[in-house]
Amino acid sequence: MGERLDLKFLARYPFLKESQEYVGERVLDLDRFLSSGYGRLILNRGAERVMASIGFKGVLPGEQVGEPERALYSYALARVIVSCIGERDLIERLCRYEAAKATALFLEEGEEGQKFVSSRLGIDLGSREMPVVKYVELASFMRSESWRLVNRAVCRGRVRLEREELIELMREQIRQIIQKQLPLQVNAELCEKIAPMRQEILRVLQEQTLQQFGEVQESSFPPCMRALIDAITSGRNLPHQGRFALTAFLHTIGLSNTEIVEIYRRAPDFDISKTMYQVDHIAGARGTEYTPPSCATMRTYSLCIGKDEFCERVGHPLRYYLRRKKGAKKKRERGSGDLPGDSPAGAADDGEIDEERNRVAETIARHRREDEEKKDEEQQS
Amino acid sequence: MKPATLEFIKQRFTEYYREGHLIAPPSVSEREWGFMYFESQAAAISMHRHMAFSAKRELFDYIRNVVPAHIYYSSAYYAEPAAPTMGEKRWYGADLIFDLDADHIMKGPYHLMLSKVKEETEKLLEMLTEELGFEKRAIRVVFSGGRGYHIHVTDISIRSWGSRERREIVDYVRGIGIEPRTIFSRDAQECAGGWRSRLQDVMEEYLAWLKERSANEALEHLTSIGGIGAAIANDVIKGIEDMIGELHRGDVPLLLRRRGVKTILSEKNPEFRRRLEECSARADEPVTTDTKRLIRMPTSLHGGSGLRVTPLAVRDLPAFDPLIDAVVFGRREVEVEPALTTSTRFLDNDYRVEKGVTERIPEALAVFLCCRGLAEIAGGRSIAAG
Ligand code: SF4
Repeated sequence: MGERLDLKFLARYPFLKESQEYVGERVLDLDRFLSSGYGRLILNRGAERVMASIGFKGVLPGEQVGEPERALYSYALARVIVSCIGERDLIERLCRYEAAKATALFLEEGEEGQKFVSSRLGIDLGSREMPVVKYVELASFMRSESWRLVNRAVCRGRVRLEREELIELMREQIRQIIQKQLPLQVNAELCEKIAPMRQEILRVLQEQTLQQFGEVQESSFPPCMRALIDAITSGRNLPHQGRFALTAFLHTIGLSNTEIVEIYRRAPDFDISKTMYQVDHIAGARGTEYTPPSCATMRTYSLCIGKDEFCERVGHPLRYYLRRKKGAKKKRERGSGDLPGDSPAGAADDGEIDEERNRVAETIARHRREDEEKKDEEQQS
Repeated sequence: MKPATLEFIKQRFTEYYREGHLIAPPSVSEREWGFMYFESQAAAISMHRHMAFSAKRELFDYIRNVVPAHIYYSSAYYAEPAAPTMGEKRWYGADLIFDLDADHIMKGPYHLMLSKVKEETEKLLEMLTEELGFEKRAIRVVFSGGRGYHIHVTDISIRSWGSRERREIVDYVRGIGIEPRTIFSRDAQECAGGWRSRLQDVMEEYLAWLKERSANEALEHLTSIGGIGAAIANDVIKGIEDMIGELHRGDVPLLLRRRGVKTILSEKNPEFRRRLEECSARADEPVTTDTKRLIRMPTSLHGGSGLRVTPLAVRDLPAFDPLIDAVVFGRREVEVEPALTTSTRFLDNDYRVEKGVTERIPEALAVFLCCRGLAEIAGGRSIAAG
């Protein structure tokens, strides 16, 4: 195999130990490296890599690896950049992108090269099966219900798989390998050097996120989240898990913390400072940002309420929201229904959508009014 | 509880612990420990946790001196188990735990609950070993001393798993998220067991059940399923024989293409789902997905029953009878005053005690009844709110 490990090969799989060693042996002093003209050029390439990962939607435009040494270095610097910026979402995007890229290249690889990479990953594409433990570690990150272990053929500790499925799991494994190493510990001085590109990257990231989630559209909320909001509005108490799920969900789709607190105002035991604290906590003002739970977790806590046809295609309430929202938008644009895969078409016509669009805002405003009225009454009596 | 009763129980516990029946779990020093004491039992239930012991000896000495009512340790391994917060404890792994509690499965007399939950445990063990491939060596079954069993999987390869991975396993044994359509769409050439064959059996059972209904009953049942109207229901009823045939021939894809069948197999049909649930192993899900649970220490005594939290090898489970094998006290007779009229199967005998009628019963049974609050030691003074 020794010969196969030429530079071009390494550049295709920069996450391999050998590839990282190659870079590590040559770039001993990153600070000095970045001061050179070549270093600055590579840094820009790294930033391009990060940018590409932000726009990445799962399909790769026939990627070229380019000059191998440059590719290896730019991979390393992309990791430095996202580590300095420290946004979890950004790191995740980079990992997904790099994993997809390496997998695409793998599929073009010759037999010997494929063998090498798959033995490194411990996945044998020819075997059509995988040990349960390994399967669970990979597939538990896959969204669709068809990946759930319970829906698999499992015999004597092995899960049966199609070749295509093995490839998907391989990509997931690469993603995990890359993700485990991030963020890197980068010292502050070095991060200074990337400060100029920081703003731009964050701007693009935010744009992308906004584009993805867009305006809040309550008509596209999954049944579980509607049920939680209904429960609050009708004055019932939510268990902690329910509050957590709802808050994290609303935060992720773009509601501000104040807007979220407004929703909780209706709870019987509403306590502004406590709610504020909880919302801030879940929504990340205190460091960690929490992602809303998946459908599987929702089910565990009996929060998966009112499951409908859309639910069958998603493994996550956020997916549900995005899908329906996209469906509603396309429909608005095309002015007619029958979107394949996004039925049922009861979803509302144009007028309804516009009407429902600002329902959250309206609900909030109404609650505020009602509360004020109540206060007035209290003062009068 | 009267002071005399408390004293009696505590003495029996002391005796048991002094005799040295304890076995420490692996990695004692990396576990967090939690205790509940006899003294504070009358007050609100309070667990003293965040304790740690650097070695087995130290733990045993503590237990023998303090004689707690309940003893727990963390399924998790920590770098600093005594630290007050999870962050400071530095979690670095946990055993995989399953909790089977009869309370979640059925109501009824204690010994019947125990035998039902044992069946459930056997089902779970079979799934873990035969289907999921965990090694029997890495599995410990434990009678909880209360209403069920715990299973500890100590396999090192899964120790670092988070809730996400653990959920896959517990959802598998519970059948949560199962989609019959997806399962039958897979090629079953070399692997047709597990949920596929369970599903097939349940479908057969269900169709047979449906066939036995009168036409009216069947119609009523089917149309009660959301999404099935009279027309589809009639189709289904007419097709039952053929469907059973298709099932026997293994032609499930054809069966699934029939109108209404997908709905019948879905969550919209509680009758079908209930049968499916019957063949799952009903472990309590949150216990498995929680990576920092406290769990009863095997070989300790359960303060609410006086029974021994009994560790078992997988192969010893079938012959195990908790009301004999988890009893550690003797037959010396003790006089008790029953607080309630109770019939109990215990040490292979049927006992019946009448409320308020003082009686001499074997010490072991006395501990059992007193711990459960069903009797007091006779003659002791009672104190208010004791
Ligand atoms: S399936 Fe998922 S999205 Fe649908 S209601 Fe349940 S938790 Fe919500």
